[in-house]
Amino acid sequence: MYDTSHRVENAVTPKDIKIQARKVQVFYGDKQALKDVDVDILDKTVTAFIGPSGCGKSTFLRCINRMNDTIPIARVEGEILLDGEDVYDRRVDPVQLRAKVGMVFQKPNPFPKSIYDNVAYGPRIHGLARNRAELDDVVEKALRGAALWNEVKDRLSEPGTGLSGGQQQRLCIARAVATSPEVLLMDEPCSALDPIATAQVEELIEELRTRFSVVIVTHSMQQAARVSQKTAFFHLGNLVEYGDTDDIFTKPQDSRTEAYISGRIG
Amino acid sequence: MTDIPLSRPVDVPDRKPGSLLQQDARTKARNAAEKRFRLYGVIAIAISMIALVVLLTTILSAGSGAFRQTYLNIPVTLDAAVLDPKGNRDPAEMAKVLTVSYGRVLDAAVEATVARHNIQIEGLSEDDIDNLISKEASAQVRDRVLADPELIGQTVEFDVLTGGRIDGFFKGRVTMESAARDSNTSPQQLQLAQELANRGEIVTRFNWNFLTNADASDQRPEAAGVGVAILGSLYMMLVVLVLAVPIGVAASIYLEEFAPQNRITDIIEVNISNLAAVPSIVFGILGLAAFINFAGLPQSAPIVGGLVLTLMTLPTIIISTRAALKAVPPSIRDAALGVGASKMQSVFHHVLPLAMPGILTGTIIGLAQALGETAPLLLIGMVAFVRNFPDGLPGGLMDPASALPVQVYNWTQRSDPAFIERASGAIIVLLVFLLCMNVLAIWLRRKFERRW
Repeated sequence: MYDTSHRVENAVTPKDIKIQARKVQVFYGDKQALKDVDVDILDKTVTAFIGPSGCGKSTFLRCINRMNDTIPIARVEGEILLDGEDVYDRRVDPVQLRAKVGMVFQKPNPFPKSIYDNVAYGPRIHGLARNRAELDDVVEKALRGAALWNEVKDRLSEPGTGLSGGQQQRLCIARAVATSPEVLLMDEPCSALDPIATAQVEELIEELRTRFSVVIVTHSMQQAARVSQKTAFFHLGNLVEYGDTDDIFTKPQDSRTEAYISGRIG
Repeated sequence: MTDIPLSRPVDVPDRKPGSLLQQDARTKARNAAEKRFRLYGVIAIAISMIALVVLLTTILSAGSGAFRQTYLNIPVTLDAAVLDPKGNRDPAEMAKVLTVSYGRVLDAAVEATVARHNIQIEGLSEDDIDNLISKEASAQVRDRVLADPELIGQTVEFDVLTGGRIDGFFKGRVTMESAARDSNTSPQQLQLAQELANRGEIVTRFNWNFLTNADASDQRPEAAGVGVAILGSLYMMLVVLVLAVPIGVAASIYLEEFAPQNRITDIIEVNISNLAAVPSIVFGILGLAAFINFAGLPQSAPIVGGLVLTLMTLPTIIISTRAALKAVPPSIRDAALGVGASKMQSVFHHVLPLAMPGILTGTIIGLAQALGETAPLLLIGMVAFVRNFPDGLPGGLMDPASALPVQVYNWTQRSDPAFIERASGAIIVLLVFLLCMNVLAIWLRRKFERRW
């Protein structure tokens, strides 16, 4: 299953740093979920977060667009800079942040509305289209961007929840893409999908990174190896190792990383 | 709960591998237990169904009489000398002529009708003939004449209400035997009524007046209706709808979606649940103290009733609305927040529409509960005898009115058995209203429920 044929070596060129995390700590009540995480996420790159369950990878992902704000007991320390601006600055409105940093969740969660309205919702609330024609355009682009257009173009008014699981997840990606984010966060986007749908989503991720930076949390090391250029390995709330995906999987520096990728822990 | 025995007691020797076609003792016992439990369930349902059927048939058989009414058809000569002594057809002058005079005109008309049919009954007194018609009849004729003074001097056909005993006779409530012991009627009078019915002068019709009339005094149950009570109940429901629904829904949305999780919200939550369990009569005392004695609102007014019922209904609405909001999957909230919706947008665009069927059902159940509530209304004076209809909205909210359940209570207190029939009739009206509200709840639920 290690299909790396589509990953062209020269695609990984030095890029600007999009997100800088500095000494990020997360507490759920008294319990510390994340300890001193420092990481630089590059623009136009797929970064994979791997690690055993409960290691803090999803927690860190949800810090980037401040989705942890919705958990009353969660507390975040340290700073996460998006293009040099701390997203946890008091002046930052998380609503504006989330328009820039889109998110796709573990379980496909389309709104119980039509396919069109699902994709059009973001542009509508952010005022990204001046009229219906422009909105149609944005929706079409987003659906094309999520490789879903050809499958749904004739039934845009049908409910989004009537699609298959894989289509629903691509619809969610289209919904996130429609607001033209600069970063797309994906929290185990394929864990509820069958292998064929997974392959489609992975193909899509490869395309998406030409436009913005993608951060993906995954339980599947194969998936991390297939889709990402950078990989971060989390263990018990620590960022153990971060580097080029090829290096992590072929010559890990830390014994814990090696133990995990060889299947001895996790 | 039942004890669950160990699957295999220690002292029992190992089970031999038996045939699948033969049930072992343990399986048999388990199957028997299941069968017994099913039987209990069926019995329980049967008992409740029987209770319901008995209740409904009792009320329907007792109350259906209220929807039929007997009328006597008589030509009345509206004597100008009696009804308009000055002879100038001046409405102000005519209004001074009281129902007593009309009573005299009517007595003459009834006597003439009996004479015209040449009915001879031994021992029939003049009172028997005059009391054939309701005391309400003279008011009935007077209203008609005042509305159209040109009728004076003519002979006009009237369908006048028969007396309560006569009405009861045709509905089977009054018999010859009971009439012999009754000072308000006599067997001769009933015989006369029967003769008139045979000649087609006394007829039984659907009683629209029951739905439109106001309450009537003890002596004239045949004229009593639930009109004022229906209007009063409607006004109160309007007040509850306007106040309880927005306040309740807003409070639940805030508590469920926005409020910080701390000690204060915990205390508020516990108190709301407790309020739902407070006996309704306590709300009545509260209403009396707060709205009538302190705020100085009038007694017996639908506004006060509505306010008290609002207080009573709020916890029900809040609890059911919160349950409906809680049932919306959190993934929908995440999805909305994830594309950059604000908290309020996520609630109003996504959560609320999904919770709508539950909110509506809870609200209507709360309203239905308020519609049937009696105890608090007794304390704020809505049990009063109200003869006049309240005005239109909004002024009518301050006028005295009755309410359906209170009217039922009121009528069951009266001595004339004819009021039992009226009370049951009012219960039927109340049940029809409740049925309509439940149907509405089901319909709204279907309409808003998304099947995708």
